[in-house]
Amino acid sequence: MTTYQFFTTAWTWNSFVLVLSILAFVGYFAAFGQRGKPLYFAAALIAFLLAFVSPLSALANSYLFSAHMVQHILLVLIVPALLLLSLPRSFSLRSPLTYLSHPLIGWIAGVGAMWLWHAPTLCNAAATSRNVSAIQTTSLLIMGSLFWWQVLAPREEERLSPLAGIVYLFTACTACSVLGIILTFAPVSICPVYQHPVDRLGILSTIRSSWGLTSDRDQQIGGLLMWVPMCAIYATAILAQLARWHSSPHPEHSNA
Amino acid sequence: MNGTTTIAEFREAVLDPAKRAHYRLAWLSTVDHKRIAVLYMLTGLFFFVVGGVEALFIRLQLAVPNNHFLHPDTFNQLFTMHGTTMIFLVAMPALFGFVNYILPLQIGARDMAFPRLNAFGFWCQPFGGILLHFSILAGGAPAVGWFSYAPLSETPYSSNPGIDYWAVALFVLGLGTISFAINTIATVISCRGPGMTMRRLPLFTWMNFINSFLILIALPVLNAGLAMILIDRQLDGHFFLPFRGGSAVLWQHIFWAFGHPEVYIVVLPAFGMISEMIPVFSRKPIFGYEFVAASTVAIVVLSSLVWGHHMFTVGMGRAMDLFFIITSMLIAIPTGVKVLNWSATMVGGRIRFDVPMLFCIAFLIQFTLAGLTGVSHASAALDWQTKNSYFLVAHFHFVFVGAIVFAMLGALPYWFPKMTGRMMSESLGRWTFWLWVIGFNLTFIIQHVLGLYGMPRRIFTYPDIPGWGWMNMVSTIGVFFMSAGSLVLVWNIAHSFFLGKVAGDNPWNAWTLEWATTSPPPHENFVALPPIHSRRPLWDIENPDRRDPVVGDDQVFLPDHNKTGILAFLFSEVGFFGTLILAYLYFYAHPQPGPGPKELDVPRTLIFSVCLFSSSFTFWRSEVALTKQRRGSMLGWLALTIVLGAVFLGGQANEYWKLFQSGVDLSTNMFSTTFFTLTGFHGLHVLLGLIALLIFLWMAWEGDSVSPKFDSGFKCVGYYWHFVDVVWVFVLLTVYILPLVR
Repeated sequence: MTTYQFFTTAWTWNSFVLVLSILAFVGYFAAFGQRGKPLYFAAALIAFLLAFVSPLSALANSYLFSAHMVQHILLVLIVPALLLLSLPRSFSLRSPLTYLSHPLIGWIAGVGAMWLWHAPTLCNAAATSRNVSAIQTTSLLIMGSLFWWQVLAPREEERLSPLAGIVYLFTACTACSVLGIILTFAPVSICPVYQHPVDRLGILSTIRSSWGLTSDRDQQIGGLLMWVPMCAIYATAILAQLARWHSSPHPEHSNA
Repeated sequence: MNGTTTIAEFREAVLDPAKRAHYRLAWLSTVDHKRIAVLYMLTGLFFFVVGGVEALFIRLQLAVPNNHFLHPDTFNQLFTMHGTTMIFLVAMPALFGFVNYILPLQIGARDMAFPRLNAFGFWCQPFGGILLHFSILAGGAPAVGWFSYAPLSETPYSSNPGIDYWAVALFVLGLGTISFAINTIATVISCRGPGMTMRRLPLFTWMNFINSFLILIALPVLNAGLAMILIDRQLDGHFFLPFRGGSAVLWQHIFWAFGHPEVYIVVLPAFGMISEMIPVFSRKPIFGYEFVAASTVAIVVLSSLVWGHHMFTVGMGRAMDLFFIITSMLIAIPTGVKVLNWSATMVGGRIRFDVPMLFCIAFLIQFTLAGLTGVSHASAALDWQTKNSYFLVAHFHFVFVGAIVFAMLGALPYWFPKMTGRMMSESLGRWTFWLWVIGFNLTFIIQHVLGLYGMPRRIFTYPDIPGWGWMNMVSTIGVFFMSAGSLVLVWNIAHSFFLGKVAGDNPWNAWTLEWATTSPPPHENFVALPPIHSRRPLWDIENPDRRDPVVGDDQVFLPDHNKTGILAFLFSEVGFFGTLILAYLYFYAHPQPGPGPKELDVPRTLIFSVCLFSSSFTFWRSEVALTKQRRGSMLGWLALTIVLGAVFLGGQANEYWKLFQSGVDLSTNMFSTTFFTLTGFHGLHVLLGLIALLIFLWMAWEGDSVSPKFDSGFKCVGYYWHFVDVVWVFVLLTVYILPLVR
């Protein structure tokens, strides 16, 4: 299969995902109507569909660790952030869940989502079993939401103060960079499934020869994706915190 | 001079030999930030002359083709010493001197947060400088470049002790720098005057505050690398020795993970100076304060992601090259934002062309050129062609001289009146300016061309290739202009110090707090602080009807400075241990024959680890007892903490002993090298913690535990102790547990 054929045919029209997306869209309007910010929600859905319907999904399923990493970033960092941004200003977590909004829980969830699912056993299991993959997706979305809640909660008073937010984001960025560095330089495969993919679509030779992605280089790119673009996302969030700080009318003691 | 001494008292003190002894030592024993700052700057100036003379010799050797003025080895030593000196003994002390003097004044503080730590940080500089230069007497200066690439820097290839002195000297200088950064952070967070909220900080203070975090990220990485190379050279380790299983490329990664942030560490203070001077001499507030401030943070975050662009020629692979190309191009954005804001500040201003402003303008032009050649190096394809040529030499001299030195040459006449009470001579200043601008551009513009003509770096001489001779001659001639400019500068400093025009409190009509006190400031800095509601308090006083908009609230939140200081210190330790752990993992993933993790007795170690972890619990109990003022119980829990820590150390010593018995020592293979290094440094930290705990036990025994100072110190030791335990969690996981799960 050539590259062109691949990108035109390898769309996964997974009915479950599509139905879920439509339901979510309807549910969103039913719940928030005009109060929400539907553009953010639409962007979140598009990112979600990109991860599961586009050829990226086919690549991530069995071929490329780096494609899996893009999926991972979309599910932990992009989709939850856009979801939180789409919520109306008045939205708040219900009381039984308040302990989940502790910054430490958020931090552990965000960093844990990266480290946990890259333990070789779990990474392999998620890439081979549909059920584990479903668990992984759900957990990534939840953990990502818990992480972003600290800086993107709809109500200002439920967010961390800007300077604390910077510390929160910076330490998370460092923790993920370390994993990215380890993946980049690791001489052994972190997720051995991707070393010898089952070539269901007949695209493997194209990937290996015309794309030039050997399994070593593939893992290196995966590590670099976690290290660099991921850090760029955190860095953007840090700058947003600075902007928030400089525009906030609050006295310093609540900022520091 | 202390404002309260009368002339009669002063004369009496000078005449009485016993009291005069105090004056002789005053500068050596001082803990006043202003005197320490002057010492920093004089150290920088002294080594500037040393490094400058080295540069002069280098250029004389290169002035004509086939020159044999210098021996090749001498030439290697000279360019190594020139680079090391200019970075570590000139740029850093001189910039830190300015920061030390001005930063506490700008925020209305009496002194730095830790005056004695400040003195320690300063004395590390001359000590490191002497160590480095002592190598000349001990068998030859290092001759492997300021980056000391392995394996050339390893014993089999460089057997003279020059590199050992180099590594120890840089380690000492690194400790001084880290202590300075801790002090700066604690000062800014905990010692600001009333109304000086974080959002009102002058940009010079803000940038140096943010820069201090970058120091705490980068310097510990270098220190870890230096420790490794010393272990290689002194204890027969093999971190960077390929034929023993080590990795020479690892050294490059470690060095540049420090080395690239280092560029920003020395350029951010310079940015801060420019951000102060351009508004004052344009008679306008800075354009887009928030953007200048925030772009500094962006630079700090990005600068730790770009080191690979120093290694395109190593062959890291296309994937890595690509990512480093992108990040290196990205970092041009926040830097460009700054240049834009400085230029926009000047637009429409009533610009006064005094010497500081002349240097600012030169800075803007030279630094923009440096940025253009810099961002072109971000492209790996171009980098491969120009990397080891004079094009690169020209590029980084544009950064270091065109940006940093020019900023300092401007900042000196700007702040000299504050430090001495006298103005520097304007006409001599102009001589310095033109001699430097002409000399600098003569020397370095032509080097771009030489590089594109193919002249490689680090060669002691070259054949008579058409064009090379005259271009090198031009380059050498430029050095004489710069030397003359420097002589004028030194004369200007000396002359103005005694005979300069009396300055008054605020000769430039500037707006930040340092100009609100006398010149020079009294020992305690301020008699009274003006009200602070905006970023330009002195403007508000002078123009009561046209005040700056009030920035945020007046409330200032000042956490305990001891707590801030220890947290900053522990932050720096993360980088140190992080580097050691990553190095361990790297070699763990490339197993060698011989001893490995299987030699380790995991259950035994777990038992001793439990001792260490429970010592965190007992320490916490001791703290609780202290707050409840139950002295006996506090002493008991503290003693138990010490015993548990000692048991852990005993267990580690026993483990080492057993390994030695079975013939495993540091030099056996990569596993043993990394294992002993990682656990050894952790053990050293436990030992230091034990000593600190013993001191506190002794103080509490003597009855000191009632003072609030004891309380704060005790908490800080606690933070350290818990941190050491947390590090052990990671060491335990990587060294002992990881092999079990794989």
